[in-house]
Amino acid sequence: MSDPTTDKPEGVPTRPAGRRKRRRAAGAHIFVFLAPALLIYTVFSIYPLIESLRLSLFDGLEDGTAVWAGLDNYATLLFDPNWATQFWRAFWNNLVLFFIHMVVQNPLGLLLAALLSLAPRFGSAYRTLIFVPTLLSVVIVGFIWELILSPLWGVSETLLGTIGLAWLYQPWLGLESSALATVSLISVWQYVGIPMMLIYAALLSIPDELIDAARVDGLGGWSIFWKVKLPLILPTLGIVAILTYIGNFTVSFDLIYSIQGSLGAPNFSTDVMGTLLFRTFFGQQLQVGDTHMGATIASMMFFIILVGVTIYLALVQRRLQRYEM
Amino acid sequence: MTDTASSNRARASRAKGVSTRVAVHGVLAGYTLIAIFPVVLVILNSFKNRRGIFTDPLGLPGEGTFSLEGYATVLTQGDFATYFSNSLIVTVTALFLILLLGAMAAHALAEYRFRFNTLLGIYLILGIMVPIRLGTVAILELMVDLNLVNTLLALILVYTAQGLPVAVFILTEFMRTLSRDIKDCARVDGLSEYRIFFEVVVPLIRPVLATVAVFSMIPIWNDLWFPLILASGDATKTVTLGVQQFIGQYTVNWSAVLASLSIAILPVLGLYALFSRQLIAGITSGAVKG
Amino acid sequence: MSELTLQDVRKSYGEAKVIHGVDLQIKDGEFVVFVGPSGCGKSTLLRMIAGLESITGGDVVIGGEQVNDIAPADRGIAMVFQSYALYPHKDVYGNMAFALRHAGEDKAVIEDRVRKAADILGLQDLLKRRPKELSGGQRQRVAIGRAIVRDPEIFLFDEPLSNLDAALRVQMRVEILRLHQRLETTMVYVTHDQVEAMTLADRIVVLRDGRIEQVGTPLELYHHPENRFVAGFIGSPRMNFLAAERSGDGTTVTTQGSAPIEVPVSPRDTQGPVTLGIRPEHVELVAPGAGDLDARVLVAERLGGETFLHFDLGDEGDFVVKTDGGATHQSGDTVGLSFPPEALHLFDAEGMAFAPRERHALIG
Repeated sequence: MSDPTTDKPEGVPTRPAGRRKRRRAAGAHIFVFLAPALLIYTVFSIYPLIESLRLSLFDGLEDGTAVWAGLDNYATLLFDPNWATQFWRAFWNNLVLFFIHMVVQNPLGLLLAALLSLAPRFGSAYRTLIFVPTLLSVVIVGFIWELILSPLWGVSETLLGTIGLAWLYQPWLGLESSALATVSLISVWQYVGIPMMLIYAALLSIPDELIDAARVDGLGGWSIFWKVKLPLILPTLGIVAILTYIGNFTVSFDLIYSIQGSLGAPNFSTDVMGTLLFRTFFGQQLQVGDTHMGATIASMMFFIILVGVTIYLALVQRRLQRYEM
Repeated sequence: MTDTASSNRARASRAKGVSTRVAVHGVLAGYTLIAIFPVVLVILNSFKNRRGIFTDPLGLPGEGTFSLEGYATVLTQGDFATYFSNSLIVTVTALFLILLLGAMAAHALAEYRFRFNTLLGIYLILGIMVPIRLGTVAILELMVDLNLVNTLLALILVYTAQGLPVAVFILTEFMRTLSRDIKDCARVDGLSEYRIFFEVVVPLIRPVLATVAVFSMIPIWNDLWFPLILASGDATKTVTLGVQQFIGQYTVNWSAVLASLSIAILPVLGLYALFSRQLIAGITSGAVKG
Repeated sequence: MSELTLQDVRKSYGEAKVIHGVDLQIKDGEFVVFVGPSGCGKSTLLRMIAGLESITGGDVVIGGEQVNDIAPADRGIAMVFQSYALYPHKDVYGNMAFALRHAGEDKAVIEDRVRKAADILGLQDLLKRRPKELSGGQRQRVAIGRAIVRDPEIFLFDEPLSNLDAALRVQMRVEILRLHQRLETTMVYVTHDQVEAMTLADRIVVLRDGRIEQVGTPLELYHHPENRFVAGFIGSPRMNFLAAERSGDGTTVTTQGSAPIEVPVSPRDTQGPVTLGIRPEHVELVAPGAGDLDARVLVAERLGGETFLHFDLGDEGDFVVKTDGGATHQSGDTVGLSFPPEALHLFDAEGMAFAPRERHALIG
């Protein structure tokens, strides 16, 4: 689309005209349209990111000044025993979180979307209700589940009892062995609506004629799904995967902080990068807040996300062909 | 093919159709129950007294168990009116800025040909990939420098910066599909570029603006991180942070906890009931294009 | 005073040159059609006249005034767009009145002018409707009405009929012609449809790749195309071309092993191969051996009123002959093709036409 007013014409000067005529403005309006958004976005989003990267390369002194530290902070984070155990544990926990979302949340979302795409009666009611948890604040969701899973209230035990499985009940959130998985499943419960919606939309965009053609070719419902629909929605599944990956490093903080606190209780078994960052930056109990190590952890998260996104763009997205539909 | 054979086949496929349908509804209804049961449970029990909550958590509030004591505690102990007005001010102002500035930027990117157009477009949507939280350390320092700590303005600015990339992305995509003719026609009619934006383009993108609004609203209303870090003072607490801290203090007062959770849930559910169609249509159409 | 002059008008986007220096004079009250294949620059040129596209070089002069830097609204033009460009949030009256209201025109004047335009176009009963409640033809009428209301010195049309179905297009074509007769205003009209160009235009401007190929009345272009491009573009089905050999002084040619054919054009001293052109409706069918060439019918397309016979005559592709609907030729039949000399065109290796010795009777 071209703009009538930006590139400068080089014609001869206008002859004086009888009535006053407006000359066409230069590109000032483009600046006016763009500047406010660019300003706020740059100052409060991009600059802080770059500043964080910069801070991670310095060390704070007692008197409040900073000295160049190069990659020392990174070395400390990755190799100093005090930091490395925390860092690698948090990193590993994030990976576990990501893995559980990939094998539970996304297949479940795919299943629900596939069923919804059959246009069953009440389909939109199901869709609307399943999306409800996604709207709630993670804090609220965390507390709801904390209450429900609490041995004090006993709702879970009662419910399991009605199907004769009361013996299965454990205070899952309180046990080191099951806390992380439980938190992950709570998060799955909350966010499954997103992959469901995205995949549902992708399934809807497949033209009916293509499905009819497959039916005429003799494919049944099951093979139509696997051989026709699934290949066509692979790009969407790729997007879902990368969204899961990015969300995993940011959103997980809210849930874990509200259920398990910033120490990732019990005994750091649910400590993730987000809680580690928070704890490092603001200090916790015996530990004093450390701006530069905080910035280092944030920068590491940035690099980890960058690596993930790069892999996604370079390998996954390129291989997943997009079909004109 | 004989008549019997074909009718047998028809019967078989009909039977298969029925059992498939039962299975589909079984799975969907089952999961729907899982999705809303916890929410319903909390809201129901918030209307019970302590005895009702513990002896019969699954029952409806009724004779002997119905009580508003939880709400009474919440309303007297917590300053929820302030929290709500804080959340409202922050959310509405940030939304307004996201929509206005986002639409203006998107209009510039979609409408005008100028140097660095593509580059600026990429720059503006980078924020979709990189979470703004990673800059928290520097954001806090910046807010300290600007004297904005413990002000709602700090939250508004950060949420605007956070919401702009998605808004610019969706709106640019949509604005590219607008007819060029109608804007040219307005030019021939003598409108300035600004009036073209406000009088021609904005009316045309109203439905998409609504979608982007509902979209951007959820993470702002629900956020815990930035209120905790930038505005945790009593006067600037948002509902989410208020509930979080209230529950921290009243862990043993179950009816108060359940009531405060319900107070935080109900407005969101109310808005969702009003706008769910737009929200879902927005997600759906965005995904089709993306 | 609504002459329009383009003087060496150029347009480029960065390095890419889109319009390469166009010179054109449009007289007051003239109906001029820009026609050409997509991407030829015809719409860009129109938008430059409107002021919607900046001018890289040269001058656009309207009514004696250079308007390169004048805002579109002040050029005394009105434009009708392909997609109608009606404001969806305003009713028909609001759409038609919009520009005048914006210009701060008196209410009564606006009312009067909108009513008059609505009368001309038969829109009286639709004034309170929204655009989405109108059919395609009605929307186009509103778009034209909106232009009329502004009482412009020049009307610009950018492919206004291409979103309409075939029947409606014919009807609207007639309406636009009548409108021109009634208003007697200068009109510049862009289309890719050569039938539209032939039926509407006083003069046609054929454009290709940002250059004018030829300017002339419809019949001039049909009978005396100056080059192969115009010859092939104007007329439907398109002109047949045959590679040919020259002999003697250069106006006698042979093609496909035919006997020498004398083409009535002025001799010119050029080198290289030539191309013979003849329109499908000018070829005469004769008995085998009696014409200039013999050929076998590949396909006979019968449209009822007329029949198109397709032949495969070597490297120039499909050769078509238009004949009457009663023709009995079958695919596989061999027929003789006879080329009346006055209907023949001859092009040199660069595609430039040899000038005819006599002008067509209708053109003079």
